[in-house]
Amino acid sequence: MVSYEDLVVSILAASLPLTMPMLYASIGEVYAERSGVLNMGIEGVMSLSAFVSLWTTFSTGSYLYGLLAGMAVGAAMGALHAFATVRIGVNQLIAGLMIYFLALSMGDFGYVIVTKTTYLHVRPISPVQIPALSNLPVVGPILFSQNVLVYGSFLLAIFLGLVLYRTTWGLKIRAVGENPEAADSAGINVNLVRNLCVILGGTLAGLAGASLVLGYLGLYATGDTLVAGRGWIAIVVVIFARWSPYKAIAGAWLFGLGYSVAAVFIGAGIFSSLGPGSGYFLLAIPYIVAIIFMLVFHRGTKSPSSLTVPYKRK
Amino acid sequence: MRQPSLGRYVSYPLGIVASLAIFSVILLAFGYNPITSMEGLVSGSFGTTFLTSETIFLMGPLLLAALAFLVAFRARFYNIGVEGQLYIGALFGYLAAAQLGGFPGVVAIPLMLLAAAAGGTLWLALPLFMRIKLQVNEIFPTLVMNFIALDVVNWVTAGPLKNPLSGNLQTPPLPESTWLPVLVKSTQFNVGILIALAAALVIYFVLYRTVLGYEIRASGASPRAAQSGGVDVSRSILAVGLMSGALAGLAGIVVVAGVDHVLAQNFSPGYGYQGIAVAALGSFQPLGIVVASVLYAALTIGGESLQQGAAAIPIELIYALQAIIVLSVLIVQKWVGDRTSRGR
Repeated sequence: MVSYEDLVVSILAASLPLTMPMLYASIGEVYAERSGVLNMGIEGVMSLSAFVSLWTTFSTGSYLYGLLAGMAVGAAMGALHAFATVRIGVNQLIAGLMIYFLALSMGDFGYVIVTKTTYLHVRPISPVQIPALSNLPVVGPILFSQNVLVYGSFLLAIFLGLVLYRTTWGLKIRAVGENPEAADSAGINVNLVRNLCVILGGTLAGLAGASLVLGYLGLYATGDTLVAGRGWIAIVVVIFARWSPYKAIAGAWLFGLGYSVAAVFIGAGIFSSLGPGSGYFLLAIPYIVAIIFMLVFHRGTKSPSSLTVPYKRK
Repeated sequence: MRQPSLGRYVSYPLGIVASLAIFSVILLAFGYNPITSMEGLVSGSFGTTFLTSETIFLMGPLLLAALAFLVAFRARFYNIGVEGQLYIGALFGYLAAAQLGGFPGVVAIPLMLLAAAAGGTLWLALPLFMRIKLQVNEIFPTLVMNFIALDVVNWVTAGPLKNPLSGNLQTPPLPESTWLPVLVKSTQFNVGILIALAAALVIYFVLYRTVLGYEIRASGASPRAAQSGGVDVSRSILAVGLMSGALAGLAGIVVVAGVDHVLAQNFSPGYGYQGIAVAALGSFQPLGIVVASVLYAALTIGGESLQQGAAAIPIELIYALQAIIVLSVLIVQKWVGDRTSRGR
C-alpha cells in the first residue's frame, strides 16, 4: 500500500533531476533565439554529447572530464550550426534538423563501435546530502538531497537570467535579436554576437546531454531512446518561458513534473487497471499540457523579432 | 520570381562531391576503405532485383513525407509534424481497412487511402487552426503533436487494437484485399510507389499550373507583398495544410498496407523527419525530390546491406552521411547562389 504523502514526495523529488537536462538545454536555446537563431538540433546534440561524456567518464573515471568533453562536442555542433546559418545563411530550421540527424547518428555510431568490446556505463553522480536540511521531512528529500548537476542547472538559469537582463552583454544580445539593423548601426557586430550565442546554446545542449547521462541515467541507448524528446521539449520550454531564463526554470520543471508523474504512476501500477497500454496516456501529458499552454497563452508568446531571419549588412 | 542561375545547378553536384569527400575522410579515419564502401552502397541498393525493390518501396513513404513538408513549406508553413500525421493516417487507414475486408480491393483500397489522408489532415487541423486564427507559429504545435500521435499509436497497439495472438505490439493483419497489390512477384515492388509518384505530379501541377499554386508560391515568397497584391494568404495556408496532412497520412498507409500489413508500434523509423531532409535535398521542387528520394532510399538500403557485408559499417554512419550530404548541398548551394546572383 502506497501512502499518498510518500507518493507526492517521490514524484516531487524525482521531478528535479528530470527537469535538469531540459533546463540546461532550454537556457542555452533562450540565448540562441534571443540573438535571432533557432537551433532545432538540440535533441541530437544532447544525444551525441551524452555518448561522448559517458565514454569519457567511463574511460578516465572522471566526471569532470566527461562533462567538459560533452560541452566541447556541444560547442562544436553549435559552431557548425552557426557556420551554416549565420555565416552562410542556410534556412535555420532545415540546418538545425540536419544537425539533429548528424549528431544523433554520430553518437549512435560511436556507441556501436565502442560497445563492440565493452559495456559502457557509469554510476550516476551521487546526491549531495545537505547537512541537517536533507533530514527534514518532505522538503529534505525533494530539495536538499539532489546531485550537484541538479543544483547547477537552477543556479545557471538564474545567473544567465542576470546576464541577459542586467548586463551590457545581455542588452547587446537582445538588441541583435530584436532589431539587428539598429544594433549594427550602434556598432554591435551582429553576426559575432549570434555566433557566440549559438555556440553557447550548443555548449549548454552538450551539458544537458552530459548531465542526463552522468547525473541521472548512467548509460546510453541508440535511436534517440535516451534523450527521448527532451531536446524537443527544451525548445517548447523556451516558448513557455517567453525567452526568459528565469521562467525557463518553471517551464522545464512543469515538464519534469509531467515525466515524474508518469514514471511514478506507471511504477506504482496505478494505471494498469485501465487496461494494457494506458500508461502511454501519462507519457503524453506533458505534450498535451504544452499544446493547451500554447492555445491559452498564445497572445503573450511573441518571439524575438528577427528569429530565423539571417542578417546581411546592406 | 528569381530565375535560378547556372551556378545554382553546378553547385548541386558540387555539394554532393564535397559531402562524399568529407565522408571518405571519416571512413578512412575509422579504418574503412572508402572506395569499396561506396561500391557496396551501390550494389547493396540496386545489386539484385529484391534490393532494387526494397529501394523503390522505401522511396514511397520518403517521397510522400517530403511532398507533405514541401507543399506547406512553399507557402512558408513549416509542418514539422509529418511524423505524427503519418502515424495517425496509418491508424485511420488501418481502422478503415479492418472494416473493409468484405469488399474487393478496387473499392477497399481507395477508401482506406482516403481514410488515411483524412487522419493525417485531422492531426494537422489543430496547429493549422492555431496558425490561421490565433497566429501561433506552427513549428512547435506540429512538433509536439508528433509525440502525442506516437503515444496514441503506442497505446492502441498495446491495448485495444493489439493482436492477442502475437507477442509483438501490433494489430492483427489487415484484410488481404486491402494490401497494396504487388507489381513484381516476391518483391516489395508494390502500388505504393505509383501512388507517391502520382502525388508528386499532382503537387507539381497544383504548384506551377494553377492559380492556387501561384498564390501559394506568392504567399511563401513574401506574405506581405502577396497580401497587398490581393492574395488571401490564410487561404493559401489552409490549402497547403490540408494537402500536407493528407500526403503525410498517405505516407503512413503505404508502409502499413504496402509491406508491414499490420499497424505496429514504431513502424516508422522517422520517415516524417527524413522527408524534410529529402525535401531539402530536392531543393524544395516536387520533381527534384523524386530524384532526392531515390538517392536517400538507395543510401538507406545500401547502408543496411553494407552493415552485413565484409566491411560491416554500422548503419548509423550512413545516417550521418545522409545528413552530411544534405547539409553540404545546402551550404554550397547557398554560398554559390549568393555569389552568382550578386550585382545583377
